[in-house]
Amino acid sequence: MVERASPLGSDFRPGSYGDFANGAEVTILELDRAGIVEATAWPGQEKALCEALAGACNLRLSAGSGNGAANREGVCAFNIGPGRFLVSGPRETLAGQLESAVPDTIGTVTDLSHGRTVLGIEGPKAEWVLAKLFALDFASAAFPVHSGCATAHHEIAVQIQRRGEKRFELYVSRSFARSFANTLRRAAEDVGYTIK
Amino acid sequence: MSPRRTSAGGSIDRTRTIRFTFDGEAHTGHAGDTLASALLANGVSLVGRSFKYHRPRGVFSAGVDEPNALVTILREGVREPNIPATQIELHDGLRAESQNRFPSLAWDFGALNQLGGRLLGAGFYYKTFMGPVAGPLKGTRFWMMCEHVIRRAAGLGRADYEADPSRYEHMNAFCDVLVVGGGIAGLMAAEAAAKAGKRVILAEQEKQTGGFARWSGETIDAKPADAWAAEITARLSALDNVRLLTRTAVWGYYDGNTLAALERVNDHVARTPKGHPRQRHWTIRAGTVVLATGALERPIVFPGNDCPGVMLAGAVRRYAGEFGVLPGEKTVLFTNNDSAYQAAAAIRRAGGHVAAIVDVRKQIGDEATALATEAGVVPLTGHAIVGTKGGKALSGAVVQAFDADTGRLSGEARPIDCDSLAVSGGWQPVIHLASQAGGKPVWDAEKQAFLPPEPTQRWIGAGAFLGETGSVEALASGRNAGLKSADKRPSRAKLPETAPSALDLTPAPVLEIRGKGKAFVDFQHDVTADDVRLAHREGFVSVEHLKRYTTLGMATDQGKTSNVPGLAIMAAARGIEIPQAGTTRFRPPFSPVAIGALAAERYGDLKPERLTPLHDWHEEHGAEMTPAGLWHRPLAYAGAGETVEQAYIREASAVRRSVGLVDVSTLGKIAVKGPDAATFLDRVYTNTFSTLKVGKARYGLMLREDGLVFDDGTTWRLGETDFLMTTTTANAGPVMQHLEYCLDILWPDLKVHLTSVTDQWAGAAIAGPKARAVLERCVTGTAVDNDALPFMGIVHGEIDGAPVMICRLSFSGELAYEVYCGAGHGVHVWEALLEAGEPFGITPYGMEALGALRIEKGHVTGAEIDGRTTARDLYLDGMLSKKKSFIGSGLMDRPALIDRNRLRLVGVVSLDGQPLGGGAHLVESGNRDEPGDSIGHVTGYCYSPALEKYIGLALVKGGKTRHGTRAFLSDPLRKRFGQVEIVSHHFFDPDGERMHG
Amino acid sequence: MLIDCPHCGPRDLAEFSYQGDATRTRPDPASTDTQAWLDYVYNRPNPAGRHREYWQHTGGCRAHLVVERDTLTHEIHAVAPVRGNAKSGDAA
Ligand SMILES: [Zn+2]
Repeated sequence: MVERASPLGSDFRPGSYGDFANGAEVTILELDRAGIVEATAWPGQEKALCEALAGACNLRLSAGSGNGAANREGVCAFNIGPGRFLVSGPRETLAGQLESAVPDTIGTVTDLSHGRTVLGIEGPKAEWVLAKLFALDFASAAFPVHSGCATAHHEIAVQIQRRGEKRFELYVSRSFARSFANTLRRAAEDVGYTIK
Repeated sequence: MSPRRTSAGGSIDRTRTIRFTFDGEAHTGHAGDTLASALLANGVSLVGRSFKYHRPRGVFSAGVDEPNALVTILREGVREPNIPATQIELHDGLRAESQNRFPSLAWDFGALNQLGGRLLGAGFYYKTFMGPVAGPLKGTRFWMMCEHVIRRAAGLGRADYEADPSRYEHMNAFCDVLVVGGGIAGLMAAEAAAKAGKRVILAEQEKQTGGFARWSGETIDAKPADAWAAEITARLSALDNVRLLTRTAVWGYYDGNTLAALERVNDHVARTPKGHPRQRHWTIRAGTVVLATGALERPIVFPGNDCPGVMLAGAVRRYAGEFGVLPGEKTVLFTNNDSAYQAAAAIRRAGGHVAAIVDVRKQIGDEATALATEAGVVPLTGHAIVGTKGGKALSGAVVQAFDADTGRLSGEARPIDCDSLAVSGGWQPVIHLASQAGGKPVWDAEKQAFLPPEPTQRWIGAGAFLGETGSVEALASGRNAGLKSADKRPSRAKLPETAPSALDLTPAPVLEIRGKGKAFVDFQHDVTADDVRLAHREGFVSVEHLKRYTTLGMATDQGKTSNVPGLAIMAAARGIEIPQAGTTRFRPPFSPVAIGALAAERYGDLKPERLTPLHDWHEEHGAEMTPAGLWHRPLAYAGAGETVEQAYIREASAVRRSVGLVDVSTLGKIAVKGPDAATFLDRVYTNTFSTLKVGKARYGLMLREDGLVFDDGTTWRLGETDFLMTTTTANAGPVMQHLEYCLDILWPDLKVHLTSVTDQWAGAAIAGPKARAVLERCVTGTAVDNDALPFMGIVHGEIDGAPVMICRLSFSGELAYEVYCGAGHGVHVWEALLEAGEPFGITPYGMEALGALRIEKGHVTGAEIDGRTTARDLYLDGMLSKKKSFIGSGLMDRPALIDRNRLRLVGVVSLDGQPLGGGAHLVESGNRDEPGDSIGHVTGYCYSPALEKYIGLALVKGGKTRHGTRAFLSDPLRKRFGQVEIVSHHFFDPDGERMHG
Repeated sequence: MLIDCPHCGPRDLAEFSYQGDATRTRPDPASTDTQAWLDYVYNRPNPAGRHREYWQHTGGCRAHLVVERDTLTHEIHAVAPVRGNAKSGDAA
């Protein structure tokens, strides 16, 4: 198996940065997601697609705008558009697995395992940092755990899933990943951050 | 002890001494001072020179409305001009400079402008800078020279030439209720909304909440008002659902209840802490907005009203109450309402001396009389100030009997000795945000003020914003607004107790005293009452015209003190009432905003960088990178001592001779999947894809609906219902949008899904006679010979363990393949290809060589597909299917698009051995100075290693019909003129034997 | 300005791109009526007041929307997906 190179470059290395005199208030990390897949339902097949994905990945996923789910094996999925889901997990075989689970009468599956970089941000100030970059309401009432959305920071399309009260995962196109990581890091400097 | 500082009182911290400089001179103040209060405390009355006439000016107000005391701050190596001294919190090391003076504030050459005051009246620029049309200077550029001199003399602070190193940031916020203004009304509103469970943001532009309560000396709930405000603020801070933003000015009210605010996070300290912003720009989306923005005092306009020492009465009260500063030793007050009496009493309580109260009204009420008595004077009712004495500092005021009903002065004008003159012309609610939100302000003749319009967005007013002036009303309306914002009914519960005021703050309708001498309406732009009348005489009767002609209200203070007096003077000139004269629509920003704060994180190069998986490899191997849209691509890999031109010639030659490798990861890639994918492609491409076999690729051309060429690229059929479309690098986004539009809007019945997979794949094109040999050395799992991988064939295999997909297609005209692998394996596969190519001297090549190779072959790119060319113009009409309709087929045959004389694609060869130039025109005349009309232009050029000449592609009238003829390259900007031959654009291997070999 | 995307909810204007007049209809693809094509491609009524426009949520779910907007006041009266399934799941 050929190891996958990170697009983030050598500047993205462990350490504490920014104003961390009072302790870094967020952690930023690149998440290792060997499988990232987009699955899209034909009109009217949204429920069927959810069931197929839920069955294949052992997820409690339901159709509907922004809905999401995650399981203990580290597979997670969330809705990013009409009938469209982003599924990711620790195994490279995810695309193949979903291709067999989703018949072409229900929808299509596209492998994005190399095409997306997943950044995690976690900590008491995660909402504060993200609010600088996205015009989204990150309060948990408006953005509950497991839910997700598709948004953008200027030119950069970003898909976001909330994975915990203070934890978010951001999916960005690989070619923008370094630029976006730098923007995210800069946004976290006032609260201090740690790269893991 | 400072000469003007009281011995006690105010909320400054007298135990802390702050050191600062003004115009290089060292001063001290106290913690809690503003620069303005500290300067006044130090007896500095002259703080700046005016915009046009360079008249001496002093501090006029105590807040955001300051028109005069603009200074430049020198901070962290940067000069920031035009900051009101009233808004600068004093801090150690603060360095401020006065503005618009030379050589010094006290001795200013520009003050000579005052002598020419008549010349510089309203519309001066418009009248002057049309150029002399008659007289001895007719036809000369004399006026331009004058403009140069005058422009230097007029103006305010000087901006810096250095880049602003400050850090700014954006913040997005959402709330149920945004309360704008942290005075007592705003505090009550915020607490009521917060108690009802709403998410509340309270924004206060000053350093702390409380507003008027901080210096009024009133009592609320048996506590000093400032202590009461501090307590409610502390309660709010403790709530999870409340965010308190101080030093935050809400400056814009936009559609959809979206408001813009500027938080001055670190302007009050000498140095911004590392990692923190100087200022933070907030975009707040609010369910409901409570506007508790208060009211600003207006002046009365009278001759000499700009002498340093003349100040708003409310400002005098604030300096005494909050800062323990008396603006003078002897103060005269001039008013048309009761609020000056509060100021008089405040001066007396602070230990100052009131010389007189001059009131235009004939009679005043008991409470005002009582305050006058407390201040130790008998008011001069029925009188007005008609002039001032003093130059750089006030030394006296001139008073005369005045009839408020007729506006007539009578009796003898007599001087009163004073060094401070406090003026009140009544109060104007701060309705700027309500006006920005939409709706016309309403003139209230009784209150002599503009009141807020009917809301056109979800906002509720509270406090002095509504035209109410007392604290009792502010507490009640604040709480009610908070309750209403939470959809609750007004409460009958007990309000905080405060003494009702019997003062009459309704002003007499007098806003100007006419007399001899300049009477200023807009201090910041030096607009006088006479300028307004002159504008009227010259026909500028509409308020909007008046504003633009005189520049009244258009300075950085946005006319906070001048709008209403200016309107009143215009209305009087026209003999109409103020509402007939009109109001003006307020526009953002309410107070100045640094451009940097709007740009925020978009610092430096502004755009994000898009990097291919091979980016670091390119840089490590000496590539000079070049931007291509957001992408960064290698231009050429120049070795030591090699120029870019030498490098690309070496690289391109290597491709023709042996083999080269180029990063093509930036090509747009779109997965087109679904049972109707082939049908869909047939409709968006001019040629047919439904006949394409699985495992094969085809070159496709797309038109726009108007019949012009949109984009081109190859599309690969990976499965029956699975296509991979490639687009040009530049058009990846637009093509995706176009396809989505077609599917969503034109053909929603088609079952096709689109996903951008540009970033999924790293792509390397391997080109040259030895390309196949290289692949044979490294590809496993598939054969790559001509049978297994014919031209336009696709195979799947592995290179050094990484899965790859290889398509045989050529942009260079050589035997060539595009090798795609997962982006994360890009470097791995690239290095494996280089290793396998080593025996053949495989050469990585960049954009310049890529360009040279394609020009030699006559392949078109964005330079030719420029949005103006048709398929015929590019000799691609063979790709226009006649068997089907497609996007663009409806309009591609319009007469103008098939005209024979259109600009069409040709090749050009330089005949003088010199390079051509991109964009250079081609002409028929050989006369360099009179080149005549253009017959076309060069779209791309290079040195061709294969032909050993400078060649180019061009779009030329008539195209092919000119083959074999000569023309001239005319490029005056680059001082280039030379002869060229027009030839076929297929310069090299026109039959394509090499790529099929 | 906010546009209330039927799929994503209210989002900032910056996430959307204008995609033109939603009142025109494309001629039959095989039509050779040049005038009909010219009207479709170039001619716009440009009304002062209520107007139906296509907007794409490019910085979000990428769906095309029909936005009914007042060109004088910018007020948005209605937003609907072009395709029926923008509220994914509800259609199922
Ligand atoms: Zn959306």
